[in-house]
Amino acid sequence: MLKVRGLEVFYGPIRAVRGVDLDIEAGEIIALIGANGAGKTTTVRAIAGLATYKGSISYDGTTLTPNSAEFNLRAGLAMVPEGRGILGRMTVEDNLSMGTYCRKDRAQAAKDVVEMYERFPILSARRHSLANLLSGGEQQMLAIARALLSRPRLLLLDEPSLGLAPKTTTAVFELISSLRRDGLTVLLVEQKARQTLKIADRAYLLETGRVVMSGQAQNLANDSLMSQAFLGGATTP
Amino acid sequence: MLLQQLVNGLTLGAVYTLVALSFSLVMGILSVLNIAIGELFMLGGYLGFAVIARELPLPLAMAVAMIGACAVSVVIQKIAYEPLRDAPLITPMLSTLGFSIILQNIVTNVWGSDPLQLPSEMFDADFMVGPVRIGVMQIVVIGVTVALVGAVAYLVQRTPAGRALRAIAENRDVARLLGVSVSKTTFLAFAISGLLAGAAGVLISLHYAAITPYIGVDIGLKAIAVMVIGGATRVWGALLAGPLIGIAEVLTIAYGGSQIRDLVVYGLMILILLLRPQGLLGGARSDVGQRV
Repeated sequence: MLKVRGLEVFYGPIRAVRGVDLDIEAGEIIALIGANGAGKTTTVRAIAGLATYKGSISYDGTTLTPNSAEFNLRAGLAMVPEGRGILGRMTVEDNLSMGTYCRKDRAQAAKDVVEMYERFPILSARRHSLANLLSGGEQQMLAIARALLSRPRLLLLDEPSLGLAPKTTTAVFELISSLRRDGLTVLLVEQKARQTLKIADRAYLLETGRVVMSGQAQNLANDSLMSQAFLGGATTP
Repeated sequence: MLLQQLVNGLTLGAVYTLVALSFSLVMGILSVLNIAIGELFMLGGYLGFAVIARELPLPLAMAVAMIGACAVSVVIQKIAYEPLRDAPLITPMLSTLGFSIILQNIVTNVWGSDPLQLPSEMFDADFMVGPVRIGVMQIVVIGVTVALVGAVAYLVQRTPAGRALRAIAENRDVARLLGVSVSKTTFLAFAISGLLAGAAGVLISLHYAAITPYIGVDIGLKAIAVMVIGGATRVWGALLAGPLIGIAEVLTIAYGGSQIRDLVVYGLMILILLLRPQGLLGGARSDVGQRV
């Protein structure tokens, strides 16, 4: 579904991503894990179309044009950015309306918003309050609900657990694995590697802008090098 | 008397509000001060004047001024802003300054540098509400302002295009991820900004019954002050600050003398900024929109 080949992204003279290859098949949950500064966020931003890059990214067999997020969204590629990216000065309702901004089927889109309120009752209860005033977990629900309203087929999630309480994190992870049942493909960027590998099918481990390890999530979780470096060494006493 | 001065101040404040709104629509979205708005406003005044001088109806004058200023505003966007999108903020500001000088020169060449007078019999009817004398012209100015502000408020708050404007103003990346086209939205902001400036130009020439090519600098600077006082990142700050400055100015002229009116207006701006740097309605520093 998504093929990334030789991806290189620069911040001025600094090469933040140095030749990343990724493959995502339809229906998978793929994890992209690694430490701070490994290039995870830069990689998904490039895929979403928020950055210029070298190398190629193809989606459903079509090569994407760099830095064209508006276009990619309409092709079915949505992203929830790091820090949730809610529009805090707008109401919950306006945020969800923005989720349907790209759609032409206004009537169906309006129905989908109603459905989204049923799926996330907390958003329905707070629909007229400013999104800034929501709790971190509620904001994450809002950000995911808003992304779903664009009817994506591939959803990129950048650190959805960032700044959330453990209990809320668990709820967000449950929500993400439920998305697969709706036929969605997910690329999940996370630092919380252990929890991420539990719900992912496959994973890529990034270090200083390169993929240093990839494979079945289960195998990565059991890998000793991996556990020492990124899982806090919990499996090696 | 005070009540009379308040009504006069509201009329002047209405025009300030419109021009300030015109500034802040572009400022809020692009963080760029489009200095040429002062001259769009002046141009609108002249276009409206040209129509009124041919004894054609006022709504037509408004339409011509608004469309004319809107067209020039869009040209400014394409020439003075769009190619400089990635340049430092000061660069597009200077190029709009260049545009404002060009516009002033064109108008001076076409209409001359002497003030043009409105036919004196126009809108000089008035009536008394209690002790207050209200001119038909004042009703027109305030009425048109309320209608335009209402229309912009509806557009910005209730329509998908307006939500897209607000989304870009708040967070450009997030707006793009939701499918908002930056260039289309920028175009829209410049277009609405031009429409408002053009309308305000006609209103001020009605208010003063005269117009000069230099009115854009005078009113433009005051409108920037109004925008800053209201809170440059919050579009609606102008609704509060416009009438406030209009009334302060008129009261100063009535009770202190016209020679100190600018001192009071800009002094008020400095005072408010010392006490509340983000403006009356401005939020925290963190909600200053990213630059497009």
